[in-house]
Amino acid sequence: MSQLTRDQIRDLMGEVMKAQGKALPADDAADLREIGFRSLDFSELALRVEDEIGDELNFDAPGLRQIAKVGDVLDFIEQLQSV
Amino acid sequence: MTETRRRSTALVGDDNRIVVAGQTLTWRTLPKLPQIPSPAAVLVNSGVDALAAVRHHAVHGTELLVATSSRVDPAMREELGESGFAVVMASGDDSTVKSAKLKRVEESGRVWLLTSGSTGRPKRIGHTLESLTTVHGKQPERTWLCPYSPGTYAWWQVITISLTLADQHLVMIEPSELETWPVIAAEHGVTAASGTPTFWRQTLYRDTEALAKVPLEQITLGGEPVDQAILDRLREVFPQARISWIYASSEVGASIVVHDGKAGFPKAWLDRDPESASDRPLLSVDGDELVITSPHHGAGLDGPVRTGDRVEIVGDNRDRVLITGRLDSDEINVGGSKVSAGLVRNVLTAHPAVVWARVFARKAPIVGRMVAAEVVLDSEMGPTTDADLVRWCTSRLPDYGVPRRIRFLDEIPAKETLKSDV
Repeated sequence: MSQLTRDQIRDLMGEVMKAQGKALPADDAADLREIGFRSLDFSELALRVEDEIGDELNFDAPGLRQIAKVGDVLDFIEQLQSV
Repeated sequence: MTETRRRSTALVGDDNRIVVAGQTLTWRTLPKLPQIPSPAAVLVNSGVDALAAVRHHAVHGTELLVATSSRVDPAMREELGESGFAVVMASGDDSTVKSAKLKRVEESGRVWLLTSGSTGRPKRIGHTLESLTTVHGKQPERTWLCPYSPGTYAWWQVITISLTLADQHLVMIEPSELETWPVIAAEHGVTAASGTPTFWRQTLYRDTEALAKVPLEQITLGGEPVDQAILDRLREVFPQARISWIYASSEVGASIVVHDGKAGFPKAWLDRDPESASDRPLLSVDGDELVITSPHHGAGLDGPVRTGDRVEIVGDNRDRVLITGRLDSDEINVGGSKVSAGLVRNVLTAHPAVVWARVFARKAPIVGRMVAAEVVLDSEMGPTTDADLVRWCTSRLPDYGVPRRIRFLDEIPAKETLKSDV
């Protein structure tokens, strides 16, 4: 199983936003609610990552956390890949 | 073998033309299978052997199950033997017969069908030639295309028209001829054709030009949910033809027939008084499920039958009942919001560049399931991207119903039943 870099995950996140007619800000501290990145978008990002790495992400492993900012999403996906 | 009911050897359709595997015959001149015991399960690899078994049944009233050999695996053949069926591996003069393990008295006149197995392992449903014959009375002379797999309910529907009515000819299509059937149909003057929506989509996708040369006056769709897009595309190619769709199954027979060129059926048909509707089935909806009480039902299936098919009331005036798919596979729960895979499929296939679509649930974090799709595009319509389709769906569906992952396939996958491989 290959892993994606943080930048690659960010690119995929940008594609998800673009498909919804929105733009992903460069700042990792941007608030997800303010930029309109919703749970459906997060789910789509996870599927895109799975398709890229050719494997399912194990969402059961890490504990629940607060994902409020762009950086939280990138951290979380990075962490899932290393499980 | 005991023959408790011998019928007339002069069948009404005996002189109807039958084109099968390149030969033009009639019911009367069909080659006969050397031996068909009763009860028998006749397993065939060709249309001509299947028709020979049907005519034998029609003349002698023997108990018959006919199916393609590929649909009946060795375990099911054993079960048939244990249920009293001799198993005939039909191959013209080289047919072989394996005697039944259980000796029992035949059910004279009984015809058995195997369900399509969409809900699991195929079941046997009991019918008779009479219960399978739903077209009666004088009909205009027609040449019917039969692309269906022998022994299915749809196959019997077409076959009984030719067997029991005058001037109803048949052109049988073998599996190897499915890709080129319009050429064969045009050559033999086919004027009526019945197929699944998948069958019609594949044909439109492969060669619309060849299809347009078939002099079709009657086009029938059945066996799968029928969406407006496929009806409209057929109407474009055949502006003069009558285009009908039929809801039929082995269990409840042909129960809904719609000729107005629209998907779904009028809501006013629900819960109609059966007395005023003579022999019409009684249609109703329980929750989201279509329930049918049908006079054309299989043995032991009288009374209301829960079809397992999901319906939705649609239209500007909410006056149309659309059958969207199987209940057990049609509903996709996206984070608590439910969406019909059939409705999403209808939206996708309404896109001008989409010739086929499969919509399914994909496991996803947070929301549990997401809507995903596989799509075949019309190569002549120019490039279409997944983003184009997402935009198309976004303007027509709630956000949770929009397929977020779309995969493009090179061709339409299909099963032996001509139904979409969904």
